[in-house]
This record gives sequence, structure tokens and C-alpha cells, in this order.
Amino acid sequence: MSRFERKILFAIGLTVFLSLGGSIFFAQGALREVYRVGVNERFGRELVHGVEARRGQLMALREASEQVADAIGWAVEAAVKENSSPRALEAMLAELLERYSSVRAVRVMEGDRVYVSASRKSQPNSDPSRATTRTREVSARGQELRVEVDVAVPEIYFQRFQEAGEVADVYSRLQRESASVSDVYVWVFGVLVFLVIVVAFLIGAIASRRVTRRVMALAEASRRVGAGDLSVNLPTSATDEVTELTQAFNDMVRDLRDSRARIEYLQRIGAWQDFARRLAHEIKNPLTPIQLAAQEMDETYAGDDETYREKLEHARAIIEEEVATLRRLVGEFSGFAKLPQADLSPADLCELIQSIQDSIPAILEDIGTEGPAPVEVRVSCATKPMPVRMDPMMLRRGVDNVLRNAIQAVYRAKPTGGGQVLLRAYSVERSAFIEVSDNGPGIPRENWDRIFDPYYTTKVEGTGLGLAIVKKVVLEHGGEVGVDDAPEGGARFRIRLPLMASS
Amino acid sequence: MKYWLAACVWLIASSASAQSNLPLRDVQVRWARGAPKVSFSAKDLADERVRNELQSALRKRLVVTVTAHPSGSGRTIVRRQFGCDVTHDLWEDGYLVRIANQTERLPSLEKALDRCLVVRGLFVGEPQRYESYKGKEIYFSVEAEFNPISEKQCRELIRPTGNDDPVGPITVSIVRRRICQAEKTVRFRAKNIRVPE
Repeated sequence: MSRFERKILFAIGLTVFLSLGGSIFFAQGALREVYRVGVNERFGRELVHGVEARRGQLMALREASEQVADAIGWAVEAAVKENSSPRALEAMLAELLERYSSVRAVRVMEGDRVYVSASRKSQPNSDPSRATTRTREVSARGQELRVEVDVAVPEIYFQRFQEAGEVADVYSRLQRESASVSDVYVWVFGVLVFLVIVVAFLIGAIASRRVTRRVMALAEASRRVGAGDLSVNLPTSATDEVTELTQAFNDMVRDLRDSRARIEYLQRIGAWQDFARRLAHEIKNPLTPIQLAAQEMDETYAGDDETYREKLEHARAIIEEEVATLRRLVGEFSGFAKLPQADLSPADLCELIQSIQDSIPAILEDIGTEGPAPVEVRVSCATKPMPVRMDPMMLRRGVDNVLRNAIQAVYRAKPTGGGQVLLRAYSVERSAFIEVSDNGPGIPRENWDRIFDPYYTTKVEGTGLGLAIVKKVVLEHGGEVGVDDAPEGGARFRIRLPLMASS
Repeated sequence: MKYWLAACVWLIASSASAQSNLPLRDVQVRWARGAPKVSFSAKDLADERVRNELQSALRKRLVVTVTAHPSGSGRTIVRRQFGCDVTHDLWEDGYLVRIANQTERLPSLEKALDRCLVVRGLFVGEPQRYESYKGKEIYFSVEAEFNPISEKQCRELIRPTGNDDPVGPITVSIVRRRICQAEKTVRFRAKNIRVPE
């Protein structure tokens, strides 16, 4: 993990920890207060009162059942004292059953024998009840009787009492454990917040790693550039500030690469210029003595041998022709060697194109073998001005070379007509373009990189200096030149020049 | 990894130490057909507060757990538990004692305590559980609890609100453990005895 990555992770961790840790600190008081509000002494007291009330209810029911048993016992005693018949006693018991709803049955026992009894008809779907028998001893007119009263109360009263007791029990435990239970809430909250911190940290780490990885790649690329590797090109897929930085870095490396290529090319051209200068000098000097010697040999021959004279004249013609060719070559080499540095000043590119357009008839005349070459040359230029820092004479020479090559190419391919050359100038964003395209045979793709090298030519009588001069001129203008296939089918040369900032 | 191992070893050791450091008490052990029958009294669980609560007419629970362990270890060979629900009957005098599905009426609290906390001849595990300990020393430990709320009842009484929040169930399960534990507990152990060959 890099230092940068560690710093970012530390910042994320600190931010997450401070925010969520702070929330635990402030939330714990609130949580404890919430718990105190929910589990308080008054609720507990009321629950206990509820349990006591239910107990009181049960005690009252028991008391009532005892009183009912007393009342029935006394009634039986009074009836026996009045010497009531068993039938009358039975009727009285039935009446008592009607009066006391909690009584299920009454039996008047004489020893183990049922003297008289009455019972309520059982209800088929009645709620469960808890029954018991209350017994009363009755003694009257010498009879020892025992009154057994079956009483019952709904079981639900007992159940509710137990349920209330359970709730009160749990509540009292909650009260007793109040402090520790509220601590549990705080702890659980804290643990969950900690988990959130961990998850947030991991997400932050993953997210930051994407950024740091790109920054690290940028740093690594910078090191490679520093070591001289200008082939670096970083991917720029995202849309953020790091991408902008990466794009700027890529642009910078591309500019460096172009500058280096430009410098290398210009250095190479410089070397070739030096070579051309010496070659021109070495070849030019013996040409005149050779030509003079040939002339003298031809003119001073005094013999009568006609055959020999003819041979001498033929040799002199060959020598003079070859010397002329060598003079032309020397002239071109000399011109290339003396090619000056471009002296740049602001000018409108369209004006230059216009001046070239004016010279097109002369070029056609020059190239054509029997009158002007039958090639249609069209020229177009943008309507708005295209200010460019240029050396008009040199740039014109460069464009003239390209145009001349195009006309020659289509003329060779279509000597009887049909050849077309288009010269146009336009601007895109901060660049001005001069484009020369034709419908000639084109240039094979494998030669695109080599045609700008000095002395590389595919023409029979070419010197291979024309396009080298073009490239030198363009590079000295801060631009670049390239070739590709033209839509018309031939070759297309495109010169890019930087537009001046004011445009 | 080694820290986890160390923690596990420490936990096991401390558990064993906690079991074997319980106070010693007289626990009668008789062996019948290869299984031990233990007798003891845990009636001292019922102090004055416990007795008052048992007289409240609310149902209270007494739970006795007997466990057998190899000598010097906290590992459990076998565990036997039984519980009594004791209710002072308000409708009729006496105490209703419910063990498993059987309810009996006892006339006094003393009788109810005898029924629940004085254990006589309780089988602790099947004979085959002691097969591998024949000739070796083991000991029994007893835990008597007053009014622990059963897990089922506790779950019914303290439940999360049913919302989707994650805090509720976690918190409730922790609170349950604290709230539903016994109100009073008595623990003791017996002397080491040798399992008959």
C-alpha cells in the first residue's frame, strides 16, 4: 500500500470514525433516557396494583362463596327447624340455586346418605370454571345434617391473575436491570455502528483505491517518461478530475514525443543538408574541366578517320548530357543545402493559397510535355481569415512541391486528361490545414512513413529531396505533415499548422 | 489463529475450574443397575424472600438441575433437570405443585418445598452414559433455581416489535437472557465418587 493510499484511507477512517463515533457518544444518553421513559417506577407500581386488584377480586369471590354457603346452611337449618318436608326442602334448594349463580349444586347429607339435593343443569359450552365444595354443619330438632355447597368461578379469573403476575414480574425485572439493559441497547447500537464504520471504511477503501491506482499509474508513467520512454499513453475512461489530469499528461507526453521527433528529424535533415553541400561542392568542381576536355578532344581532332570523328562527337554529346544532368542534381543538392531557417511572421493562409493558385498555369506548363498538362486543379479556401505564423516564401515552396508532385502523379497516370487535383485550406479548432488530394495512383501504405526521408524517391528522375524539404518547412512552422488515401482514390497530403491565438 | 486457540483453552479451563470450585455438600449416591440415583436437599434455596414470593398466589417455578462431570473437569457427562410450578391456591387453602403434567395439592409450603427441593433417589442418566467412566472418579453438581422464566415464556413476554430493523431482535435476545434468568440460584457439588466396575 502506498503512502498516498494510506493517507486517503486514514482520512476516510478518521471521517467515518468521528462522525459515527460521535453519534454513539450523543446517542447513548438519548437511548438511556428512552429506556427510562419506557420502564419507569410508576408503570411498575400500577402493574403491581393491577395484580393486587386481581388477587383482591379472587379473595372477594372466595369470601362471597363462603357467605353463600353460610346463607344456604342457615336456610336449610331454618327449614329443618320448621319441620319442612324433604319435598319442600328440595324446592327451597332449587330456589336458592336460582338466586346464587355461583352455586352449582347443594346436597344435604345425613351421615353418608343424601337427605335431599338440588343441582343446576350443566351448560354444554360453558367456560371452564374452578369448583370447590363448602361444607356447613346444621343441627336442628335432633338431626345432625351436613350441607355441601358446590361453588364455582370462571377459571379465566385465575388465569388473568397469573398473567398479570407474570407481566408484573418481568416488568419488575426490567426495572431492576434498568441500568444494564439500557447499556445493552447502547452496546448493540455501538456494535452496529462499528459494523457500519467497518463497511463504510471498506467501501471508502475500495472507492479510493480506484483513484489512488490511477494516480499511482500516473506516477509510474511519469517515471517512465523521465527515463525517456515517450510511448506512454494512459487510459482515460472515467470523467473526473483525475481523468482530466491523465488527459493533460497524455497530451504533454504526445507533445514531447512530437517535439522529439521534430528535433530528431530536423537534426537528420541538417546532417543531410551538410552532406548535400559537400557532395554538390565535390561534384560541381570537376564538371567544367570534364565538359571542356570533351569539347577540346572533339574540336582538336585533325585526322581523316570519319568513323573516329563520329565516335568523338557521340562521346562529347553523352558527356555534355550527363554533365548537364549532374549540374541539375548539384543545383538541387545545393538548393537543399542552402535551405534557410524559416523566419516566421503572422500572415493569412488564404493569401498564400491564392498566390499559389496564380502560379498553377505555369506549373502545368512546366510539367506538360506538349503544352500544359491536362490536369484539372481546383483550389478552395475558408472564407474567414486563418492567421498563421509563417515564412510565406518557404511555406509556398513546400506547398508548391506537394502540388507539383500531385500534378505529376496524375499526369503520368492520365496523360490524356481526367486527372484532378484539389488544393484546399480550412481550419478546425486551433489548427489550420492545407490539403492536397488527387485521383492519381496513390501511395502504397508501406511507404507513408518513408516518403519524407531525404533521398527516398519512387520517381525515375527524382532526387528524393522535395518531400524532405516540405517536412522540414512544416516542422519549422510548428506543424506536421502526413499522407493517407484520398477519397478521390489517389493520395492526400495534409499539412497542419497551429492557428494564431487571436483567431 | 493461535490467539483463538488460546482463548478457547482459557474458556474451557475456566469453565472446568468454575465447576470444580463449587461448595461441597452431602449428596447421597446409590448405584442401581449401572446408573446413579442421587439424593440431596436444596431447600436452602427457599429463604424468607423466596417463601414470601411462593405465598403470593402467583405461580413460581423451582428448577433443579443435576449434572455429572469427570473428576477435575467441567465437561458434562450427563444432565438431568426437573422443574416444579408452585402456586399458592387462593380458592382453597394449600399449594398446587405441578411437575411435568401432574398436579398435586399439598397442604403447606413446607410440603411443597420438600416435594420440589428435596430430591430422593433421582436417576441421573442412563447406565450406558457411565460405561466409559467405570472405575474412574466423577462428581455431581447441583443447581437449584428460583423462578427462572422458561425460554418459551420469556420469548412470549419479551418479543421484538416485528419491524424490519436489525437492532430489535439482537437487543431483545440479549435482554431476554438477562431478564429471564433465575431470581435466586444455589449451586453446589458432591464429593468425587468412583463409578463402579
